[in-house]
Amino acid sequence: MSPRPPTLRENRRYILARIEPAGTVIDQKELYYAITDAVTSLWGDSVAGVIMPAVVAAENGHVFIRCLRGTEKELLVALSTVTACREVRLALRPVAVSGTMESLRGRVRDLQVLKEPVPETGESIFENKEVLIMHCNGQKVDVIEKGFKNTHRLFLTRSDLENS
Amino acid sequence: MKVTDAAVFPYPCGDTSVRRMALEVKALRFDSLVAIDTPAGSFDGVDVLSGVLVQDAPMRDVIGRVKRAKDSGAVVCVSARDNGFNRAAIGLKGVHILRGIHAADKAAFDHVAAKIAADNNVAVDIDLSPLLSARGAARQRAIHRYRDVLTFERRFEFPVTVSTSARSCLDLRAVREITGLCSLIGMDMDDVEQALGGVGRVMSPPVPAVRVIP
Repeated sequence: MSPRPPTLRENRRYILARIEPAGTVIDQKELYYAITDAVTSLWGDSVAGVIMPAVVAAENGHVFIRCLRGTEKELLVALSTVTACREVRLALRPVAVSGTMESLRGRVRDLQVLKEPVPETGESIFENKEVLIMHCNGQKVDVIEKGFKNTHRLFLTRSDLENS
Repeated sequence: MKVTDAAVFPYPCGDTSVRRMALEVKALRFDSLVAIDTPAGSFDGVDVLSGVLVQDAPMRDVIGRVKRAKDSGAVVCVSARDNGFNRAAIGLKGVHILRGIHAADKAAFDHVAAKIAADNNVAVDIDLSPLLSARGAARQRAIHRYRDVLTFERRFEFPVTVSTSARSCLDLRAVREITGLCSLIGMDMDDVEQALGGVGRVMSPPVPAVRVIP
């Protein structure tokens, strides 16, 4: 099949979204299913067919989502309803919208130069419980309780750990 | 006007400490938040208002708890139930916000309740959590209830607040995202702006320019 001439191609837009919590490992295909489910559930099949969301890439804690030009607003509303991917809790924070992937990649590079997270691990005490530090970024510290049970992630700050 | 999230549930109700909530909320362009069952404070330039949520209690207990909370400076929220309860709760002096209208009966909030809310400067909360996490019939019902509340709001002009009911920083949403979500229930940009400043409106009601002295 020969490619369409540029004048007959659909115009697309790319949304750059940050994946939270930091350090979450996401399968691109699973994320695509989560986003499609959110779009279909919110807007229905007819609008989802127009938006045509697609996860183009997921790298460096960011995800690039493609849609038809003019449907960004609907897709952004639907993205805010994505709360989990394969039972892994997450949030997608939209950072920028652009017509090219390259400009968004540049944006990601700029963001990473601005605030390179300090890899820091170790143990600490919070509320008389031993916790394992998972991720640190500035004041923000994500910890996980040590043990076999109730090992869910807690979102704290350095002050919380120092004061406890 | 301060942009405020009208209810969050920090640790131990949720998995995020109040300081972390404040940090995240600042990044999402909020000025303050109401933290339920948490002492008031200010973290990193974000004002944390203490909130008291009264729910699943008979009217007598509600009156007692509201009386106790009245002098503490906390934002007092009452969970909505049937119509009679809601009218009584809105009429109580010291109640600031009626929450959870999406989960109450269809007739829980009518024109009489709306008039009482306007007279007593009590806000009705638009809880975004069912729009964010629910799917299908539950979300449709919430959208319908909120549209109904907003019809009364336009007629009687009682305050409206917006909350995410976040138990985790992952449940928080940016002001821009909230504007998008509120467009689902027919709120435009100005409505959302007013609703985000709704907590300030109920906590420090405007002083009337003219006072009638009998």
